[in-house]
Amino acid sequence: MKSLSRRDFLKVGGFAVLGTAGATTLIRKDQSHATDQPAHVHPSHAMQQGDHGDLPGTVGEVDHEKNGFNPTDILTDFDAGEVSTLPNGQTLREYKIVALNKDIEIVPGIEFPAWTYNGRIPGPTLRATEGDRIRIHFSNGSNHPHTIHFHGFHPSEMDGVPGTGPGGLVEPGGSFTYEFDAEPFGLHLYHCHIFPLARHIAKGLYGTFIVDPKEGRPPVDRELVMVMNGIDVDFDDANDFYAVNGIPFHYQNHPIQIRVGEKVRIYLVNILEFDLINSFHLHANFFHYYPTGTSLTPSEFTDTIIQGQAQRGILEFSYKYPGMYMFHAHVTEFAELGWNGMFEVLP
Amino acid sequence: MTQTASQPATRRFTFQTFILLLVPILLLVGVIILFLSTGGGLDLAAPVPVENLTVERYHLERNSIELHVQNTGPEELTIASVIINEAVMPFTVSPSATIPRLGRANIHVNYAWSYGEAYGITIFTGNAIPFAVDIPVAFETPQPSPRTFWSFTLIGLYVGVIPIFLGIFWFPALRQLGRRTMTFLMAATAGLLIFLGIDTLVEALEVAAKVPSAFQGVGLIGIGAVATFLLLDAISRRQTEITGSETERRLAVAMMIAIGIGFHNLGEGLAIGAAYNVGEIALGTFLVVGFIIQNITEGLGIIAPVLRDRPSLSRLALMGLIGGAPAIVGAWIGGYTPSPFLAVLFLAIGTGAIFEVVYEIAKLIQKDTARQSMPMSVFSGVLTGMLLLWITGLLIK
Repeated sequence: MKSLSRRDFLKVGGFAVLGTAGATTLIRKDQSHATDQPAHVHPSHAMQQGDHGDLPGTVGEVDHEKNGFNPTDILTDFDAGEVSTLPNGQTLREYKIVALNKDIEIVPGIEFPAWTYNGRIPGPTLRATEGDRIRIHFSNGSNHPHTIHFHGFHPSEMDGVPGTGPGGLVEPGGSFTYEFDAEPFGLHLYHCHIFPLARHIAKGLYGTFIVDPKEGRPPVDRELVMVMNGIDVDFDDANDFYAVNGIPFHYQNHPIQIRVGEKVRIYLVNILEFDLINSFHLHANFFHYYPTGTSLTPSEFTDTIIQGQAQRGILEFSYKYPGMYMFHAHVTEFAELGWNGMFEVLP
Repeated sequence: MTQTASQPATRRFTFQTFILLLVPILLLVGVIILFLSTGGGLDLAAPVPVENLTVERYHLERNSIELHVQNTGPEELTIASVIINEAVMPFTVSPSATIPRLGRANIHVNYAWSYGEAYGITIFTGNAIPFAVDIPVAFETPQPSPRTFWSFTLIGLYVGVIPIFLGIFWFPALRQLGRRTMTFLMAATAGLLIFLGIDTLVEALEVAAKVPSAFQGVGLIGIGAVATFLLLDAISRRQTEITGSETERRLAVAMMIAIGIGFHNLGEGLAIGAAYNVGEIALGTFLVVGFIIQNITEGLGIIAPVLRDRPSLSRLALMGLIGGAPAIVGAWIGGYTPSPFLAVLFLAIGTGAIFEVVYEIAKLIQKDTARQSMPMSVFSGVLTGMLLLWITGLLIK
């Protein structure tokens, strides 16, 4: 009740008649609550804060089955395509991608009317080797025009941008096959390029495109894909939740299990719309960073990197000690709105 | 001609009358059923879900934020996510996260808030519609304890009871005055009350904006004010019929002034208690002094009609309590369970009561001026009363 009309109170200074009363109440409460345990049990026990309130996070699970994908699976789900050899000896990889409207439960109780590639956010992780011929059979099963725009080398008519021919705007019910050689090697991405671009990306039309060097990368024990994204559930062109691989807090609620000494490689892509930057910070560890994955020599040994939209890079590290370790955006606001995860390092 | 003959027959309430009365209602039921089953040819499906959530109040305890919400939208809704200062927080809702239309629920978050800081909360429903709550200054919500109870009592005493009694202490002095001055004082009282009445009405309208739209706050003001006005008018007429004595009548008017001011002070107490509760005010010593100075005039108003009579001391004390003590009750209610709905109702009652009392005083003044015309005394009196409150109001603005 702000409106005191005749009684417009001074909001500053003065002796608060009740101030001291309030303060004593506060202190007394302190004592009486000192031994209380919070009733709530967080899924991740390592993150209990004891008597200091709950940590940010979601309670309960989204319906992965209904969503049609589980972020835990997306980590290691690489689509190498259907492989055959062309008459000239070149390897041909064929992929099928369909654009679909799909309601995805992004936090328990909230469904986001997403636009997806193959019904998932992010879309499939396409993987090829430098020099392979790749064909992406794209069909549009949604009620909006969409395209696939790849980062990498390709002719103009394969760019997936309006004005570049039939591949530049695929009408609902239509289809198009994007075909080009996979190059240069590195970590790339693809996304829809229909205008308004921000909305088409924010709704979920993006995915990872990995081109391995001909000679391959040094072997590691575990390769993971992480696509950093945001979700604007109320369409005010500002993100309400942040995530890796679609579902906020997924890896906080379901820590990624690795082992001490295991070599881990992360393909990290930032597709975050509306916000200028995103970041990745690894706890209690450092990683070698390969920006865009276009070199086999790391550029940096660090524990935090920053990426703007469509920037990406490869991280390599291993843990010395067992335990629970956080990884999250060191834009901490994003972390508390969903972009937070845990590695569970087993001995 | 035939009408007069047939009238007694039609006036009797027969079974036939009953059936005839029932016909439109039965037809209405038919129309509603038809409409519900066919939609009446209109496309009534909303393109987007229409939801409304009113946060009635919040309750802060150590490591705990509790939001008392009401679903004031047309359909049931589900609380799906709570974000506090840009952090998604685990929460529980009792009795259920799904709230029926006009149903209430408490959202509980274990949150380590800090004293004196500000918090912005966004509640998302299952349809991803956000509702914002602001906590401008966080501090422990006063609990009903002997200590806070006494504090709210003190506020009520300072704002209501003490100033009114101080005003009443003018009684012996004012008794010495002549008839013309007494009429002037009566007119001044009317002026005071008109000012208070406008003030109460405006306050009611402001609070009404916070009442969930389904409860039609402004309509509530109309009902409360008109009903109170007419009820007090009826009581005063009946009293005149019973006693008829002028002295008794003046005493009755004084009592009604006390009641009207009492309602005003109840509304004031509610507002102060509620504002204190959400940390919007600091009751400075200067402010309390301002209250006392302004509200002295209210005590003056109560005694003005009975200056030429000899009311007993206990009667005067009773009137002082009726006028002032509701400020204490208001501070308790406002402090512990602030409710815009109740506040609007009390303020509306206060508005009706105050304007009715102005009407009663006008009748008394008319009787005086019928004997001896003194138009300037009335004019200057009313103006003095209004100016008095306006000027003392400067102290606490």
